[in-house]
Amino acid sequence: MTANSNTVNTVLGPVHADELGIVAVHEALLSVVPGAEHAFDAAIDRAEVFATLAAKLTDFRDKGGRTIVDSTGMFHGRDVRLYESLSRATGVHIVASTGMGPEEMLGGYFLTPQTNPPTPWPAEKFADLFTREVTEGMVVPRVERRGAAGLVATAASRGGMTPTDESLFRGAARSALHTGVPLSVRFGDDAVHDLGVVLDEKLPAGRVVVGGLDRADAVAAGAPFRIARLGAYVALDNVGADDAEHITDKERAALVAELVAAGHADRVLLSGNATGVARGLPGRDLPYSHVLTNFVPLLLAQGVSDQDVHHLLVDNPRDLLTVR
Amino acid sequence: MSRVNTVLGPIPAEELGFVAVHEHIGYGMPGSELDTRWWKTPEERYGETVPKLRRFHDYGGGTFVDVTGICNGRDVDYYKSLSAKTGVHIVACTGFVGGDTALPFFARASVDYLVRQFVHEITVGIGTTGSRAGVIKVGVSRGGRMTDLDKRIYRAAARAALATGVPILTHLAIDAENAIAIFHEEGLPLDRVLFGHADDGVNAEKTRDTWIADQGGRVGFDTFGYETELEDPPFWARPRKERLDHFLRFVRQGHLPRVLASADANCSPLGWPGVKGHTVNYLFEDLIPDLRAAGLGESEIRTIFVDNPADFLTIKN
Repeated sequence: MTANSNTVNTVLGPVHADELGIVAVHEALLSVVPGAEHAFDAAIDRAEVFATLAAKLTDFRDKGGRTIVDSTGMFHGRDVRLYESLSRATGVHIVASTGMGPEEMLGGYFLTPQTNPPTPWPAEKFADLFTREVTEGMVVPRVERRGAAGLVATAASRGGMTPTDESLFRGAARSALHTGVPLSVRFGDDAVHDLGVVLDEKLPAGRVVVGGLDRADAVAAGAPFRIARLGAYVALDNVGADDAEHITDKERAALVAELVAAGHADRVLLSGNATGVARGLPGRDLPYSHVLTNFVPLLLAQGVSDQDVHHLLVDNPRDLLTVR
Repeated sequence: MSRVNTVLGPIPAEELGFVAVHEHIGYGMPGSELDTRWWKTPEERYGETVPKLRRFHDYGGGTFVDVTGICNGRDVDYYKSLSAKTGVHIVACTGFVGGDTALPFFARASVDYLVRQFVHEITVGIGTTGSRAGVIKVGVSRGGRMTDLDKRIYRAAARAALATGVPILTHLAIDAENAIAIFHEEGLPLDRVLFGHADDGVNAEKTRDTWIADQGGRVGFDTFGYETELEDPPFWARPRKERLDHFLRFVRQGHLPRVLASADANCSPLGWPGVKGHTVNYLFEDLIPDLRAAGLGESEIRTIFVDNPADFLTIKN
């Protein structure tokens, strides 16, 4: 991809960054737990999947959304050709991701290769695999490559980063550094530590978004502020989640107001981590428009200005997603 | 009525003929499909595969049992076209080559769910193909000991075998004590299990082949042809004579009724380079001449490649 462009990689090709509009920066379109595509009781009817996703994307557009980022990576149901058709049909820009993780979600090819001993993949091999999804295009497995990935996404295990997770993080960071697309990470049990691993690869913090920082454990640890001070993007991207694992929308809105008051309006991102269609897992059935319809009013009530809301939903994701 | 599931439908066991009981049309570790270094066009895949199957047919081969597990690139529509065009019966499997080739969805699944997956593929069909699995594949993960996931898969396979009458093939026969304990607990007769790869270079020394046979299990010498004499042998290769002597010793100890043989070759590998010069036709081109030279008679050869596999593959219920 061309360096220092003003464009973002969407599934229909590069789009000028100013055209992105309001972005949902961490969502899932088709989300399939690896292997579920072979489940005897989980048939995937493409026409039905398309209709469901098209309705959700249209609702998002009707509420003001213009761009959606599928952050599921290359091995969790990603269907690039379906996303191309959806983008054409709905007019919503779709940015798809390469990458994978955490370790538990990988295939045996990466964990127990046919070598003696079966040593898991090192960072450099992951870097090469992910980089080619940007420079040569995203794979339709064993068939063809399509358009360029718009970001690299990976995650660490909840119990803490494993050695293979670390290889994924380092490989993903090198790939982001080499290609100019951003890196999106979900941390394990320590957001600051996990960000440190990618910064150790010399990737500028401003090219990284740390997701899931509205997890209750992260908020209790002060991680959103610590990540913002390190210069990375802070994604509060479980907006609408109403469970023990996360803070509530009301608490989330207060947290945004505090981050803005602390001078981090240029570092905060919002999204719902909704699952458009899920197979093999429950998924989070939330409209992609939830941030716009339900959460923005809470922000305004907290005293966050219209201008700051614009930063969070338009300017910050644009700056992150622009290929550098 | 004797009956065996092939990808083109059930056939009588009498029609199986000469059987290569542990083979692969093409095998790749799960995830290898993401790595373009291994990709082949359909022209290349058919081009590498069809001549091998045609030669197998010309030599008198009747049936090719593909034991490529659920997440390893198993491609039943492709097998159907290969079978229809070459005349070779192809038996496809349900199950997994090992716990480390089962993707997260199945790694997290309960034994009960795995049973239903296997039974569905045996009695209703695999995916949308309508083809029913004829065998259940299980195996031991890398590392030499059965993992908890391996054990869940073995237990589910045992239950599915009892429910459907289809037999089980294993990848590796090491740690057989744990495997046999599970089969005993589930009440599965051991002659419904083929303990495979008793002959491979890495594990032969650790495999209790005669002990398995004494308990009634079937034993697979089914990596024939992976030889250290090859130009670029894989890590599981073994000197040709050593494997052959091992096999003959086993047969002459009275285990002929329990033994099966195959080559575990890939017609067109999916996620690895494969082994140059090694094909299913090793059985005809090298092994059978070696067996004759060692003094085995035609009836013994027939027992190994026709009668034993027919008895093993016939659905028993």
